[in-house]
Amino acid sequence: MNSYSLAAIAFTLFSIAAAGFLTCGSLVRMLMFLELMLNAANIALVGLGHNAASQAYAAMLLAVAAAEAGVGLALIIMLASAFKTLEPENIKELKG
Amino acid sequence: MTILDGAIYLCAATAALATLLMLFQRNPVKAAMLMLTALLATAGIYLALSAQLLAALQVILYAGAIMTLFIIALTVTPQAWRDRPAPGRVARILGLAAAAVLLTELLKVSTALKTAAALPGFSETGTLGIARELFGRFAFQFELMSLVILASIVGAVALASKRRSAQ
Repeated sequence: MNSYSLAAIAFTLFSIAAAGFLTCGSLVRMLMFLELMLNAANIALVGLGHNAASQAYAAMLLAVAAAEAGVGLALIIMLASAFKTLEPENIKELKG
Repeated sequence: MTILDGAIYLCAATAALATLLMLFQRNPVKAAMLMLTALLATAGIYLALSAQLLAALQVILYAGAIMTLFIIALTVTPQAWRDRPAPGRVARILGLAAAAVLLTELLKVSTALKTAAALPGFSETGTLGIARELFGRFAFQFELMSLVILASIVGAVALASKRRSAQ
């Protein structure tokens, strides 16, 4: 297996997750696809680096993903209680 | 093609299929289970790439902790369960087209990798090497990461307490 096939795998997973992020209509689902995008970036990092440094970076990226999920879900729960909806098009307090 | 290549392709196909099925799944818990499948398949890819520590971390952190968070978030937000109309056809087509353009461009950019050397075969776990990198060369970044996590904890607690006082 060469680096190109691994890059293609990571990019395909990233694009499918990006398609989901752009087309789904719920905040929780958007955050799920965001996590999958980060996951695909991690695969590219591990697959193309294949040394200890890239794996160390990937371990740090896992911590970033955990922090992001925690804050994101806290925000979503707060938005759900404030706006009574989780659809991004219905949350338009700032819309002029 | 070695057995490891086959394992990588199989896990990648499973992850891609699970993510694709997530796109068309209306039930949020079933979508979360499909996401779990994709994350576990990713752990398989890490294992085949001889990143054993990362495979274990992926199962513990992503498939364990983050999935639990998602399930709890789905439980406490009844709005997520409501049947909602599918997003407009134009928005859906535009989103898919944007993702297709992104994929084409990324693949075009990475054609330079075709001439790169082939990957080395399966090797012993490099946990010691990762620890040397994390606590040696990347010690500052690693400590900075603890600040990021602390900030996220403080942010999440502040948001939760605000919600309680608002009620």
